[in-house]
Amino acid sequence: MTLGFGQIAFLVIAALTVAAALAMVLARHIFHAILLMIAVFVGVAALYVLLGVSFMAGMQLFIYVGGVSVLAVLAIMVTRGFMGDRPRPARSTYGAAVVAASVFGGLTWLILQVPWPSEPLVPAPQNDLAVLGQVLVSRAGYAVPFELASLLLFVVLLGALYIARER
Amino acid sequence: MVPLSWYLILAAALFSIGLYGLLARRNLVMLLMSLELLLNAVNINLIAFSRYLEEGQVVGRVFALFVYVIAAAETALGLAIMIAVWRTRQTVAVDEIDTLKG
Repeated sequence: MTLGFGQIAFLVIAALTVAAALAMVLARHIFHAILLMIAVFVGVAALYVLLGVSFMAGMQLFIYVGGVSVLAVLAIMVTRGFMGDRPRPARSTYGAAVVAASVFGGLTWLILQVPWPSEPLVPAPQNDLAVLGQVLVSRAGYAVPFELASLLLFVVLLGALYIARER
Repeated sequence: MVPLSWYLILAAALFSIGLYGLLARRNLVMLLMSLELLLNAVNINLIAFSRYLEEGQVVGRVFALFVYVIAAAETALGLAIMIAVWRTRQTVAVDEIDTLKG
């Protein structure tokens, strides 16, 4: 079986992403973990580019690399002095590893049971952002969940400000 | 093209790694970051399904955008709670925050 460009690119990106994710959950130092988390997010954005949904890749970079990571860095700056993480007792770490490995094994087994398509149904859409926007705000589409999401974000950010305020 | 099952297995791997981080780490920041890994794995699945199986190519992306909203809300609230806990208890280790333990 010869590998095409897309497949090689996928394998490289996937290997880097999984390696960064593994290093992230195993990192002793919280700041290293945040940097590795950014690497995972960039890897996932690269996968979106490979899938042909570059708008989602842009959103991934904006929201995760730009937003969530900055938030995490600010939070560890505020809680100065707790940069490290004492390990849990080895017994519970082994338990977590067993649970995670069996979840992965089970999911992989299930995935391999199904004859998934190897080709996308339709070619990657070009410049269909207008369609996405119309679906999001049309009443037949997702206008109500969209407005609820904005309300949720507003309430959550106000609540976060209230919880984290200086007393 | 890349078969759909590759994306699904990659998402399963990211999900399991996030689950391990959630169960094995003690720092609240690490738990929140592991949660983000889980949500990212779900998003990969949603977008891959939308790309391979959906005629209109829109619904999967809409759901992924809603997952982004939830993820942002969860991070903001979680980190705010973490800062509040740090102010009162001077720790962010989840097994030392046990005031409600009977």
